[in-house]
Amino acid sequence: MSGFLTYCLQRFTPVLLMLAGVNAVNGQSSRLVHVPAGDYTLGRKGYINNPLRTVHTNGFDIAATELTNAEFEKFVQATGYVTDAERNKNALVFSPGLREFRWLEDTTACWRYPNGVTRGGIENKMNHPVTTISYRDAVAYCKWAGVRLPTLDEWEIASRAGATTTYFWGDDMMPLSTYANVWHGRDHLQADSTDGYMYTAPVGSFKPNAWGLYDMYGNVFEYCEGRLPTDKPDSRSVHARGGSWWCSKNSCAFFNSVDIGRVKRGASFSNLGFRVVRK
Amino acid sequence: MKYLMFVAAVLGCLRLSAQEDVPAEWKTPSKSSEAYAAYRRKLTVPPYGLAKVKALIEKIPYQEDDSSPMSNKDYMALSLREKFTYHMIHAEINAQNCDVRPPIQDEEKKIFGQMADGSEESVWSDRQSKFMISNRDSVMALIRESTDRSKRMGANYKMAIVEINGREMIPYIIEVYNRDKKDRDLLTLLMLLMKNNEYKEFMASQSYRKLYGEKADYQSYIDFNKGNEDLIIKRATDYYNTIRK
Repeated sequence: MSGFLTYCLQRFTPVLLMLAGVNAVNGQSSRLVHVPAGDYTLGRKGYINNPLRTVHTNGFDIAATELTNAEFEKFVQATGYVTDAERNKNALVFSPGLREFRWLEDTTACWRYPNGVTRGGIENKMNHPVTTISYRDAVAYCKWAGVRLPTLDEWEIASRAGATTTYFWGDDMMPLSTYANVWHGRDHLQADSTDGYMYTAPVGSFKPNAWGLYDMYGNVFEYCEGRLPTDKPDSRSVHARGGSWWCSKNSCAFFNSVDIGRVKRGASFSNLGFRVVRK
Repeated sequence: MKYLMFVAAVLGCLRLSAQEDVPAEWKTPSKSSEAYAAYRRKLTVPPYGLAKVKALIEKIPYQEDDSSPMSNKDYMALSLREKFTYHMIHAEINAQNCDVRPPIQDEEKKIFGQMADGSEESVWSDRQSKFMISNRDSVMALIRESTDRSKRMGANYKMAIVEINGREMIPYIIEVYNRDKKDRDLLTLLMLLMKNNEYKEFMASQSYRKLYGEKADYQSYIDFNKGNEDLIIKRATDYYNTIRK
């Protein structure tokens, strides 16, 4: 009986929470999903950066989708903000033909030309996630919009949608292509558009998790706030979670609810973006 | 009855595959595995103008974007050997890291498809890669000279050989491996050279499928044993004989 009750709670609670939790957003075009107060199971047994534990939250509202180019453009138009990649000409971009984990330095790349001028602009991609921005750029946006980045724990609570498995649907990677824009090629030497997109996809193009959150494991990695046990005291690295259009199962298996990525705070990659949380 | 047995078999298969998908717990590896993991990741520090290069690296101003390229003026003033030292001990641009990889169990008993990466948060910049490729003969000579002196080929040297596609070094790589047969990443290096040059004999092999095939990933390995060791060396030698002028 207790087993059946647990099963019912696991299966239906997230749906009820989702139905109760979705609401409109002030000043944002993306919906916010309300994550209710409560205790949530995070991490995995033995993981150095993310040990298995129970975490309490007082509840928060998180964007259902990653922040789009259209939303970021409003910020730039209102403030005249110049991103790190535009100032430092230091963006790291992708073009098919690169060996695994290699990126191209491109002085022309920035959020308006995420993979460099020759690989096209965002004129027809205003509903795609903003990329080629640094952590500092993401924080600057948040400050202007009166929102904030999710903490590492908040991101995980949201991505899991009540589950305690590697992915919000279980431990099997197989259904990933239903939920995430990722790389399906064996390597990155040839272009891969088998899911319809080589780079980013419009936000919300794939199925959401049980709480109505989209693109948690794909499209772009998402900056979060927080430090890890393995961060050196003087480390200037920041962290991003989820997965991206670049991620492939043959390269790594770190696009899930457990693993946590690391990047230098001034770096601007074309597979890095963010989603926001209401302050 | 047959039908029930069939259903049971199917369910059994499903259960098995589901079990395989359950992530393993992180376990502390054995001491010998940990020691070999550290050995794999060790870099070789070249001696050429080392003190001068280190002093120049020390004075690289903090960049707002956290990358750390040496100024063009200082860089251009370095000799070829000093530039080699610089590139081997200092990668200039930011890397993106997925996560800390779980510890590998019995690392010393495995031959991996990919070599251990010596650097963590930085990678070679275009300037650095171009230098190595443009000066590949010199780079190969310096790697050889330095390896003979230090009695080992560090992770950075092996990565540089892949970077410049130093297939001419195959006999030397085998020679270095045979000195103590300790560094299995030298066998990995031989396989990467065969793979990157699309050597058909290797690409048709079971090892290739296991290490670089559809289901392979960055942790894929084959067992370290005499049979696999001999086979890799034989294939690499055969491949080298096809390219020898």
